[in-house]
Amino acid sequence: MSSSPLTRRGSKALVGAAAAAGFALLLSGCGVANSGGSTGGAAGDTLRIVLPQEPPTLEPCEGSLTATGIVTRSNITEPLVERNPTSGELEALLATEWEATGENQWTFTLRDDVTFSDGTPFTAASAAFSIDRAVNSDLGCNVEGYVFGDDDLVATAVDDTTLTVETVRPDPILPLRLSFVEIVPESTSVTEKVREPIGTGPYSVASWETGTKLTLDRNDDYWGDAPAYASAEYQWRTEGTVRAAMLTSNEVDVAVGLGPDDGAGELGVDYANNETVALRFSGDIAPLDDIRVRQAINYAIDRDGILGSLYSDGTNVAAQLIPTGVVGFNDSLEPWEFDLDAAKALVDEARADGVPVDTEITLVARNSLFPKVTEVSQVLQEQLSQAGLTVKLSMVDTSQSLQYQLRPFVLDEGPIALLVQHGNQAGDAQFTVDQYMTTDGAQSTFGTPEFDTMLADAGLKSGDERAAAYEEIFAYQNEEIVQFATIAHMVGQIGLATTVDYTPDAATGDEIRLADFVPAG
Amino acid sequence: MWTFLRRRIVSSAVPLVVVVLGVFALARLTGNPASLYLPLNATQQMRDDFAARNGLDDPLWIQMANYIGGVLRLDFGTSLRTGEDAATMALRAFPATLQLAGVTMLLAVVLAVIVGSWAALKPNGLADRVSSFISMAAASIPDFWLAIVGIFVFAITLGWLPTSGVASGASWVLPIATLLLRPFGVLVQIVRGAMVSSLSEPYIKLARSKGASETRVVSRHALRNAAAPALTVAGDLAVGLINGAVVVETIFGWPGIGKLMIDSILQRDFAVLQAAVLVTAVSIFTLNIVIDLLYALLDARVRPAGSMRKRRVHVPATA
Repeated sequence: MSSSPLTRRGSKALVGAAAAAGFALLLSGCGVANSGGSTGGAAGDTLRIVLPQEPPTLEPCEGSLTATGIVTRSNITEPLVERNPTSGELEALLATEWEATGENQWTFTLRDDVTFSDGTPFTAASAAFSIDRAVNSDLGCNVEGYVFGDDDLVATAVDDTTLTVETVRPDPILPLRLSFVEIVPESTSVTEKVREPIGTGPYSVASWETGTKLTLDRNDDYWGDAPAYASAEYQWRTEGTVRAAMLTSNEVDVAVGLGPDDGAGELGVDYANNETVALRFSGDIAPLDDIRVRQAINYAIDRDGILGSLYSDGTNVAAQLIPTGVVGFNDSLEPWEFDLDAAKALVDEARADGVPVDTEITLVARNSLFPKVTEVSQVLQEQLSQAGLTVKLSMVDTSQSLQYQLRPFVLDEGPIALLVQHGNQAGDAQFTVDQYMTTDGAQSTFGTPEFDTMLADAGLKSGDERAAAYEEIFAYQNEEIVQFATIAHMVGQIGLATTVDYTPDAATGDEIRLADFVPAG
Repeated sequence: MWTFLRRRIVSSAVPLVVVVLGVFALARLTGNPASLYLPLNATQQMRDDFAARNGLDDPLWIQMANYIGGVLRLDFGTSLRTGEDAATMALRAFPATLQLAGVTMLLAVVLAVIVGSWAALKPNGLADRVSSFISMAAASIPDFWLAIVGIFVFAITLGWLPTSGVASGASWVLPIATLLLRPFGVLVQIVRGAMVSSLSEPYIKLARSKGASETRVVSRHALRNAAAPALTVAGDLAVGLINGAVVVETIFGWPGIGKLMIDSILQRDFAVLQAAVLVTAVSIFTLNIVIDLLYALLDARVRPAGSMRKRRVHVPATA
C-alpha cells in the first residue's frame, strides 16, 4: 500500500512515542529505581516512622523548625539542658548544673564523659562554639530569631567543664532559652548550614536518600543509656490518610501528625499537644475597637458544643492562650460561659451608643490550620451572627494568611476576627505574650501602655514571682483587654503499632525522642 | 540537516526565553520568603539581614539580571529551604517523574489501541458500549479520589500492594494505575473514533476483497492510519505528565518534579522553582527536537513537512 500523508504522520508519531518511551526507559536505571528500602518488611531492630514532610535540613540551629527539630533534637544532637514537657522543669543533659553568677551572667557545669559521634570530645569550648554559631553568626539560624531576638550572647569556656554565658540585660530564663541550642563540634561550618550534622545524641545519620527516606543508626559511643532500637528509618507522606494507611498496613511503626478522621483507628493515640485555638480581634478597627463587641463574641461562642460535636475527648475548653504546664498558666481562670442573651445585650448596648455593629466582620481562617478548621469556622460564623453581628467567612492559604497574622497587618479589609492556633513549646509565657499581647507585638493588633508595663515587668521576674505575674496578665487580658476569644486547648494524634511502646507528651508534635521508644511486651 | 536542526533550536529558543523571564516574574508574585523562613517574632533587623543574605533587597531588575546571568552560567542558586544547589534538586527529581510518565504513557497507548480497536470492529455492539462506558468513566474519575480508594482497597483491605513509596516494583503499581486511567480513557475514545473511520475507507474494502485476514486488515491497514490522531493526543497527555503528576506524586510520596515545584511555590523557594521549571521546559524542547530529528533521519520525505511542523510550546502548568 502506498504511503498516504496520514500514514506518514502515523510513522512520525510512532517514532515520537518510541523516542519518548526509550528516553524514559533509559533513565529507569537511575533515580527512584535505585531506591532500596524496607517498606513492607519486618520492623525488627528498626523503628519505622512516617512524617508529614521531609526535613528540609537537619541543621541543628534550625531545630526550632518542627520539620527539622522532630528528627534532629535529642536524637542526633543535644542541648545543655532540656525542659521536661510534662512537669515544665529544666533537666540536666550535657550540663549537670547551672546557676546565675551575676546580674547578666550564668555559669554551667558540663559533663566530662561525652564525645561526639565522630569521636571528638565534648568540652566547654564546643558548647561556647555552638552558642556563638547559633546566636551570633551570620548564618541566620531560625533558633536565633525564635528564642534570642537581636541580642547577642558572650559564651566563654572557663575550662573544659565550665561555661559562662553573658547577656546584654538580665535574663532570668536564659537556661530555658539555651535548651533550644543544640551542641555541635567545633569542626562544624560557621559560614554554611550543615544538612547532616554531627552531635552527641543517641543516634547519628547513616544515610539520607533525598526525597525517599532517612536512616539514623544508634551511636554506640553514646554517653547515656543505649536506646532500644538499633536504627530508625524515616519516610514522609503529605496526606494523613496515607500515613494512617501505612501504619495499619504494617509498613511503619509510627505515624506522626494524624487527624481524628485519618483512619488509624485503635492505633491512634491522642495527646495534649500544647496548641491553643483562639479568635484574635483587630481591636483597632470598628466595631471590634469596642470592648463590648469583643465581649459579646466571647459570650456568643458555644465552646462546649463545638468541642463535643467535632472533637474527641481530651480537647479542652480554653480560658487563656497557654495550656497547663507552661509557666504563667492561670488555673483559676474560667472560660467564658455561653450566654447568647448576654451577647445580644452587649451588641445592642454598643449599637445604642453609636458603635457601627452592623459593619461586616471578616472571620479569617487558614486552610488545614488544624483538623476540622472549616467546620469550626462555619460554626463560629453562625454563632457570631446569632449575637447580632454581620460576619463573612474567608478561608485562606498559608501565604495569604500571613498578611492577617503578622505585622504589618492588612488595613483595607475592615474588621478582622482571625482564627489562630498558638503553640508555646518553650514552656514560658513570655514567648506567648511578647508576640500576642504587647502593643507592637508581631501578632498583636493592639494594647495599652499599662498592659505593656505589666508585660515588661513580668519578663524580668523569676521563679514564683514570674509565674504569678503572668497569671495576672492572662486574667487582665480576659477582663480589660479582650483581644482574644480563646476556644480550645487541642490534642494531637500519633499512630503507634502494637509492637511499639511509647507514651506521647506535649512536645511529641515537635520533638520525637527515639530513645523513648521500646518494643512492646 | 544542520539547517534543519538550527531552525528547530532557534524556534525553541524564543519560548524558552519567555519561560525564563515568566517564571522569575510569577515566582515573585507569591510573596516575600522572609515571612515563611523567619520565626513569626523575628525582628525587622533579622528580616533585613535575611533579605540581604539572599539578594532579595536588590531592586527587581538587578535580581533579574543576576538570575539571567546565573542561568547562562547554569547556576540557579541555592535552595532557601534545604541549602542545596537548586539545579541538583531539580535534576534529581526530574528522572523520577519521567520514568513514571514514560511507563504510564506506554501502557496507556498499548491498552487504548487494543480496547479502542476491539470496540471499533462492531460500532454500537456490546464491546463498543462496554468500552465506551469504561473509557468515559476512566477519563472522568478524579485522580485524588482514585488514589485514596486504590490504597484502601489494594493496600489496606487486600494487602496486595504497598500503600506508597518507591521501595519496590510493587510500589509502582498504584501510582501508575492512578495516572493511567485518564489517558487511557481519552485515548480509547480517540482510537475507537479513528478506527471506525479507517475501517470504512475504500482501501480496507479492497484489502478484504483481496482476501486479507481480519487481523491483518486491522493491524496492518486500519490501525496504521488510525495511529496518528491517537498518538498526537498521547503526546499532549505525556507532556502533561512530564510537567509533573502533582497529585499522584504527593499522595504516593513519589519524589518527582511536580511535587518539587508545588513545594517550592508554597515555600517561596524561588531558586528551586526556577530551576525545576527550566529543567522541565528544556527537556520538552529537547524531546521535540530529538523527535523531529528522528523523523528526518528515518524518512527523508517528511523533512520538509517536519520543518514546517507547528511547534507546540508547553510551559509547566505550575509556573
